[in-house]
Amino acid sequence: MAIDFALIAHQESWRAAADVLAVLRGPDRAPIPDDEIKDIFPWIPPRAVCHIDHRSVLGHSVHGVYIDSFIPPDRLGFEHRRDNIGRVRDAAACAIKAGARIVSLGGFSSILIEGDSDLLPEKGETVFTTGNTLTVAFIVQGVKKVCALKGRNLSDATLVIVGATGDVGSGCARCLGPLVNRVVLNARNIDRLRSLAEELSASGTAVDIATDLQQLSVQADIVICVASLESPSLLLGRLGPNAIVCDAGYPKNLSPDGVLEGCTVFFGGLGQSLGGMSFEPDVHRVLHRHPFPNVGQGCVMEGMVLALEGRFEPFSQGRGFITPERVQEIETIAARHGIHLAPLYNAQGPLEEVTCETEGLAHERQIAGAGRAV
Amino acid sequence: MEVSTSLNHSTPADAKDVSLTASVWQDVLAQAITGELIAASNYASLAEICVDEAEKEDALEHASGERGHAAAFAAEGRKLGVNVVDNVEAQYWKRLRDAFLRCIAEKDSIGCLIIQEVMLESFAVASYERIGQVAPGTIGKTFTAIAAEERDHIQHAMSILRADRARDVKRFDDKVHALHLDVMTTLAEMLAREDKNGHCQLCHGSCIKPSLPSVGLTTAVLRGVSLRQYLKVLDLLGLPGEMTLKWVTRLPV
Repeated sequence: MAIDFALIAHQESWRAAADVLAVLRGPDRAPIPDDEIKDIFPWIPPRAVCHIDHRSVLGHSVHGVYIDSFIPPDRLGFEHRRDNIGRVRDAAACAIKAGARIVSLGGFSSILIEGDSDLLPEKGETVFTTGNTLTVAFIVQGVKKVCALKGRNLSDATLVIVGATGDVGSGCARCLGPLVNRVVLNARNIDRLRSLAEELSASGTAVDIATDLQQLSVQADIVICVASLESPSLLLGRLGPNAIVCDAGYPKNLSPDGVLEGCTVFFGGLGQSLGGMSFEPDVHRVLHRHPFPNVGQGCVMEGMVLALEGRFEPFSQGRGFITPERVQEIETIAARHGIHLAPLYNAQGPLEEVTCETEGLAHERQIAGAGRAV
Repeated sequence: MEVSTSLNHSTPADAKDVSLTASVWQDVLAQAITGELIAASNYASLAEICVDEAEKEDALEHASGERGHAAAFAAEGRKLGVNVVDNVEAQYWKRLRDAFLRCIAEKDSIGCLIIQEVMLESFAVASYERIGQVAPGTIGKTFTAIAAEERDHIQHAMSILRADRARDVKRFDDKVHALHLDVMTTLAEMLAREDKNGHCQLCHGSCIKPSLPSVGLTTAVLRGVSLRQYLKVLDLLGLPGEMTLKWVTRLPV
């Protein structure tokens, strides 16, 4: 069967890694003990784990593969960068060998074409997209939706973006900057922060920059967390009353120990396919660990969206090129095939109620004010 | 770009420490010598069923080479001043030899190559290379040099195996799977953290596995590098990676 798309990603926790191996091992064999998984997992070379069929609401479907780079979840730090780039490159070679027409790069994998596209192997007809534009689209939609649910006015809000100079962070800044009262850009690299601030200021956005999140001079009303962190370790600084916090990192950014009383936290950047997806072997619940069906990260869904549209092109490449116009373009294409913002949820569960009909079409019933404070 | 997994990567032991770890190297060398003698026997048996004279000569040449490797490892034992035993009847090695002999009985030369070149040599190349990185002095050099020669064996067999697969993909892949269930299960048990089948009948005292970290090795690393090499060789043969991944994840731990 022809491979329309490939998704390259990695697991964000040892629990998820164990679950992948358990599915592959089959129900007739005892699960591998947790301590042995850490012995085995790092040695597995990148390769396809499952096949995916993704259906459009227009009636047609596309076929693809999920390729795991098998980056150990505790080895996402800078000191492992060289090894990890090698793994993603090998995973890209698997996608090319499989004949995938378009490849989405999830999580750490996007580094392969965000910076130096020379890192890609010889790719023939295969094109690569980071998928970051659709991630930005779903983050922006999510922020707007929660604001609407909570009766918050975006134009009065101070927006803090953690990881602002990354591809997703800068895309969010360009999309939401013109809609809020003030944007505070947070990242480690001061030069990149200044450059992005200059760009946003030139278009009339009020901008501050901060390299230290604990030293913010203003209270944040809305926070978007999209930093590249090894693990959920982020502690937020000054938050306004009833602040809205979107954690769209992979791995998640927010520390489970962080106190966010009174805030509404949600996991952002996620889309849901109303046409549905099927997996062989069935690792759906393992790869997409969400409380709703057919939900996935925007970055991995972008390749499927483009395949459904028949647009086999590197839609998202490089860093810092995501504009409101490109975001609108990809969300329009996604919507045409029934891929929309996923129902909102956080670590405690759903923020809204969702019902599903047998044909896989999900109909959301938003409950204003139902978002549980964390 | 080759992934150079650095997990549990260890520094080479200092030569002056060799005497402290001699008993560990004694058992590591015992496994290596026995493995080489099994390989020599396998190639000699393969020669007996070869129809083509050139292939027969090749097999006999390989058998001779493997005996040379065994002798080189034995010499390293003598340099260490330890008595390195070999035992081709040791439980795991005997099971591996029996699997090979079943292919011989069926005059299945392709099955023989799959066992010896794909499975056993993957194990040998990867583990010897890793041992070569940590072993002191000439022991390390010997393991590294022999690993390079074993890698050449794999290359030699690949063209024959690829051609056979091209004739009938399903038959070939089914055969590899059947042999995998037999041979790789034995190797996985051999490299498991604990010997669930009792003493391996090669270690001169109790099981050597818990002592491997004292020389910069672990069973986890040896199993990991061996299975990774095996998966890569199967990739080179053209077997679907998602299928072979399932096979490997289902091996005993």
